[in-house]
Amino acid sequence: MNLPQAIPLPTARPRPFGGDVLTWFAIATLLVLVVLGLIGPILSIGGSSTAIVGPRLSPPDAMWPMGTDSLGRSIVPRVLQGLGTTFVLATGAVLVTAIFGTLLGIVAGYLGGILDETVVRAADILFAFPAILFAILVAAITGPGAPAAVASIILVTIPLLTRVVRASTLVIADRDFIISARVEGAGLPRIVVAHLLPNVAGSAIVQATYAVSVGMLVEGGISFLGLGVQPPQASLGSLLREGSIYLTIAPWVALAPGLLLAFAILSVNLLGDGLRDSLEPREVRTLQ
Amino acid sequence: MLRWLLVRGFTAALTILGVSVLVFAAIHLVPGRYEDVLLGPFASEKLRAAVAERFGLDRSLPEQYVRWLAAAVTGDLGTSLTTRQPVLAEFARRAPVTAQLAVMAGAFTLVIGLPLGILSAVGASRRGVRAGSRLVGALGLSLPDFVLGSLLVYLFSRYHLGLSVGGYVPFGQDPVQNLRAMLLPSLTLAVFGIALLVRTSRDAVLGVLTEPYITAAVARGERPFEIVRHHVLRNAAIPIVTVLATYVAYLLGGAVIVEKLFTLPGFGIYVLTAVGNRDYAIVQAGVLVAAVVFVLVNMLADVAYAVIDPRIASGRVLVR
Repeated sequence: MNLPQAIPLPTARPRPFGGDVLTWFAIATLLVLVVLGLIGPILSIGGSSTAIVGPRLSPPDAMWPMGTDSLGRSIVPRVLQGLGTTFVLATGAVLVTAIFGTLLGIVAGYLGGILDETVVRAADILFAFPAILFAILVAAITGPGAPAAVASIILVTIPLLTRVVRASTLVIADRDFIISARVEGAGLPRIVVAHLLPNVAGSAIVQATYAVSVGMLVEGGISFLGLGVQPPQASLGSLLREGSIYLTIAPWVALAPGLLLAFAILSVNLLGDGLRDSLEPREVRTLQ
Repeated sequence: MLRWLLVRGFTAALTILGVSVLVFAAIHLVPGRYEDVLLGPFASEKLRAAVAERFGLDRSLPEQYVRWLAAAVTGDLGTSLTTRQPVLAEFARRAPVTAQLAVMAGAFTLVIGLPLGILSAVGASRRGVRAGSRLVGALGLSLPDFVLGSLLVYLFSRYHLGLSVGGYVPFGQDPVQNLRAMLLPSLTLAVFGIALLVRTSRDAVLGVLTEPYITAAVARGERPFEIVRHHVLRNAAIPIVTVLATYVAYLLGGAVIVEKLFTLPGFGIYVLTAVGNRDYAIVQAGVLVAAVVFVLVNMLADVAYAVIDPRIASGRVLVR
């Protein structure tokens, strides 16, 4: 008798990101940057961030590899401290966004009706404010500082994430497995957590990754304008602001934090692209 | 069509109303009362009461909101605390700088971004093109405008590369000097837009290329250029228009940063300075105007959807 052969199970799990070099590069860079930014100030890598080590505005040298700032402090530890602050503020804010945005998006998309309409309208209203002007408004209320930066990041990213999660929820809200769960008597919390959340998690994670890069951009922008992190605290944006006064005579003071920020954002964006390609694959074809 | 436009217009009006409530509430959360800011700590109770009455601050909040909104609709955006000039007149003097910045940045974005995006989609099968366009797109989206702008300020002011940093004059006064001063700021703003457009138009075109009518066109032996012109562009246009409309929000915010970096006397720098001066009438009006401009541009995008794809207006296809 000729029984149809069973399809052999894959022996190994497919490699994440399918050997996508760019994504792995981004992950490695990010790991290094996060570790340097968080551990650097504790272990004082590159020396103390407050000690005066050399002449003011001195170009890079063996003792101060990225030059010195306007007080003669080495730039390396300052930049690492700024990197840590930027990461903590951006990811902290996006964590809040991710939790509330995902919940709001799922519940609005699933329940529909007035609640859904309200959430969509509210997201539209928040979305209408250009990010930097929103930050200016927030800074006018709370006064310049790190809280203004965090609040701005949350307000800027939450409509983006909520919209995407709601759209993903709408696609699956009427599928059979949701209906059968409801027939079995599952309550709202159970349907949201056990059935909807796993199905929208992919797009939520992708959006949250992009939101971190938006958060770093917003934090950098408002700190650059002098409305975010204030001295003696330092973020990459506020360091760039301090350095921009000496741009023509000592460009390293501004460009070191600036280029580092660009590099960090690039890594986050590349990670987001990699996650998107592997979590939301699309078909590709050509005109041949 | 008309019904659809009315619905979209109603939604836009609702959004603007929400925006105005939010802005009004935000400014009322600012610590310190207007009388105190205006008169200082040593003014008499009587004077305070007189000022509060003159500006209607003794009325209830909802009543103040309605009066403020009614005034704003008729063009009265309040008076600047520092210069005593009507805010609207100050905006009108500075708006041309920001508008020119936005138009030039938008033009660069379209002329460079759209062809690049389409080309990279059509050549998507080649590994090099794919990785290259992904890296260029990610680079452009990752380079913050204040970093890129600082880099340009440094390069062009240190090495005298021909374009001036700062030194803005109105276009009517000296067109050549005006363009020389506006080129770097608008390019700074355009880089993000170009990257955004490359990525969006690439994704949109890739999406269209999988459609059966493209297969049919390939089978008929049409040349790639003709396929793109006749079958791809219009069908890929909707997401591109959406992204261009949201790019306007970025332009309005980015203008603040670029105007500061290149010392352009525009709308953005005016609003930013007002925060430092605690001149809240300007902050309030500035944020409101920017948000209203954004909502109106998005309404125009809605009209563009209906022109591009008439099925949308008839309700047979859903956007977004």
